[in-house]
Amino acid sequence: MHDETMASGVFFPEVDAAPVRAAETSHRFDFRGNAKDYFRIWIVNVALSVVTLGIYSAWASVRTRRYMYANTVLADSPFEYLAKPLPILRGRLLTGVLFALYVIAGHFSKPLQVGAGLALAAFMPWMIVKGLMFRARYTAWRGLRFYFVSDYSGAYQWYFIAYILMGIPFLLMIFLTVSGHPLVGLLGIFAGIGGIYPWIKGNQQAWMVEHHHFGGKSFRFASKISVYFHMYWRVIAVGLAWLVPTMILVGLVSKFTLAAQGHQPFNPKAPPISFILAIYAVMAPMYLGVWTYVHVRMTNLLYNQAHLGQYSFRSSLKYWSMLNLYLGNALGILCSIGLAIPWAHIRLARYRAEHLEINGDGELNDFVRDAFAHAEVGAAGTEMDSLLGIDIGL
Amino acid sequence: MIPGVFFDGRSSHAIHVDVWRDGDSLKWRGPSREYAVSLVVVEPSARVIGVPFVLHLPDGAHIQVDHDLLPADWFADSHRLERVVDWLERRWPAALIGIFVVVTTLGALFEFGLPWGADRLAMNMPHALEVSMGRQSLAVLEGRALLPTRLSLDRRQHLQAIFQHFADRLTGMPPVQIRFYASPLLGANAFALPDGSVVFTDALVRALPDDQAFIAVTAHELGHQAHHHMLRLVLRSSGVVIVGSMLMGDVASIGGLASGIPIFLLDSHYLRAFEEDADSFAFNALASQGIDPAAFVRAIQALERVRPEVGRGDGLRYLSSHPLTAERIARANAASRAFQLAHAGH
Repeated sequence: MHDETMASGVFFPEVDAAPVRAAETSHRFDFRGNAKDYFRIWIVNVALSVVTLGIYSAWASVRTRRYMYANTVLADSPFEYLAKPLPILRGRLLTGVLFALYVIAGHFSKPLQVGAGLALAAFMPWMIVKGLMFRARYTAWRGLRFYFVSDYSGAYQWYFIAYILMGIPFLLMIFLTVSGHPLVGLLGIFAGIGGIYPWIKGNQQAWMVEHHHFGGKSFRFASKISVYFHMYWRVIAVGLAWLVPTMILVGLVSKFTLAAQGHQPFNPKAPPISFILAIYAVMAPMYLGVWTYVHVRMTNLLYNQAHLGQYSFRSSLKYWSMLNLYLGNALGILCSIGLAIPWAHIRLARYRAEHLEINGDGELNDFVRDAFAHAEVGAAGTEMDSLLGIDIGL
Repeated sequence: MIPGVFFDGRSSHAIHVDVWRDGDSLKWRGPSREYAVSLVVVEPSARVIGVPFVLHLPDGAHIQVDHDLLPADWFADSHRLERVVDWLERRWPAALIGIFVVVTTLGALFEFGLPWGADRLAMNMPHALEVSMGRQSLAVLEGRALLPTRLSLDRRQHLQAIFQHFADRLTGMPPVQIRFYASPLLGANAFALPDGSVVFTDALVRALPDDQAFIAVTAHELGHQAHHHMLRLVLRSSGVVIVGSMLMGDVASIGGLASGIPIFLLDSHYLRAFEEDADSFAFNALASQGIDPAAFVRAIQALERVRPEVGRGDGLRYLSSHPLTAERIARANAASRAFQLAHAGH
């Protein structure tokens, strides 16, 4: 899931967390938005977007994002969101048309849809670069913009070729299964994926951080790939811890709802709606539980290993607090049929800001304008990645 | 004179300044010097509650002025549209009206707008697309859910003849054909595919008491064919997916998990309307060929005997794809009475 769905919708620039030395100054991020104001902004903009059949939505998202950015404050200076609505509208229309063609094509010809899906996968790294460029280009602090280097070959390396590499254990498994060692093959695939996936994730973060610039300095990433292996081992443990109670609940739910249905044969193609809803309700917390763990740990790793000049960042998101926050948000949104969405955004943005700080020997006055060209960046990439839910992990 | 913070756009150094307007120019004074530019080159940001005004100056510099401190007459002509939006955003009554507007607009969109648009599109689609859709569905089902029929050749030829005879005398039908399959998975069932195929399972054929009941089921499925329900449903539910994803991605940001349920509910809702439409078509078609729509009741009752869950009305009207059985029987009986009255009159 991408940042815009579960997280605040605020792009926290790569302010990194460095090891704290004594006598260093620490600047905490501060979030000053409140749910009342944001609710009115949100509902008015949603209403206008819906009434104009989506045309106004570009203006709406600029206004709501400006509110979230401007209320995120570092050293008494707010962040700024500078994107213009028209390019966003163009990107959104293009994305909508492509998505519509993709969805409808699936009903007429599966090969066509599969082909389109593959073409999309081939474009993914390009979209990721464009999306990152757009976010960086239109995020500013104290009048200075962020900048993301358009490194397409790096993007293809870590978001395309690296995933193809993950296919090797699969091929190996098929080979071993065919040659009569299915168990060895299965173990091989776990070992292969366990050995490759954390490595990919770590390198993706390093690539992303190191291609960001701000204030005449480029971000540095002091990454140790072993921390990602440790992290994903713990993800497996967390997943298993969630799996056991969930499976018990699924068992109980199936027994209970199916018993309530009477003794008719269970049709796997059209299970009763109560059964579907119950399974959703039981599976959702597990999904959220594991996803939150990955999100919290990856976000902390991202900031805590990044540096900008003499400054470092410290992100101290806690798993249980975040899980609490997400569960509260999900329940609030469900119970209010969506009206609590602004409140949920504000809560999340506040928590995230309060747990991010920038440390270093200085008063943040020593940034200067980047010498890079500040050309405009199209919005198509960022619109596509937010529709498709690409997890770029910001 | 209002307080502001000046950034020269070349460094992150913050300079606290006093800003004022002097005729056609904007002036500000910092600790060391005074600046001035013409008002027309200043680009102010749009008003948003709680967001500081940013006055963009020509060379990348800007002045931040606290929210609501900027006098309204300095840049009276800028951002006229967003000025109105800002006015609305500050008012609770506008927010309440906003909720009402969102609910009614979305309701109207999914109830009328989207079906209307999808149906217009369906009308303009070449028939070849429907054929390819139907072929694709059959290809998926054949060999898995649909196995070769075990009905005798005689029986099939007999039903085929009745089917063709009935279909040929209806006007405005696309080319149709009947297919029989054995299907333990689907049980007693009949359905229409977009390419003109009407599929009967062996179990349904065996369950139907007489030829007229068979024709009644046929008439219902031909109703789906005549009104191109399958293509229209596909386009409508694609529309729901597309509109839903755009809404979820931008406005609600809930994510894919939660969006499945409303999409499922809307699909069932559209499907239910089509089923009712096919029933009405069936009653008229039967009556037009001199068959009492009471045959439809016999067909449903036969179906209910072999598939008890069909008859269970569990009260979740919005959730069920077919109209509840009791309702369908009542409507068929009403059609039957009308038919008998008309024929008694002759």
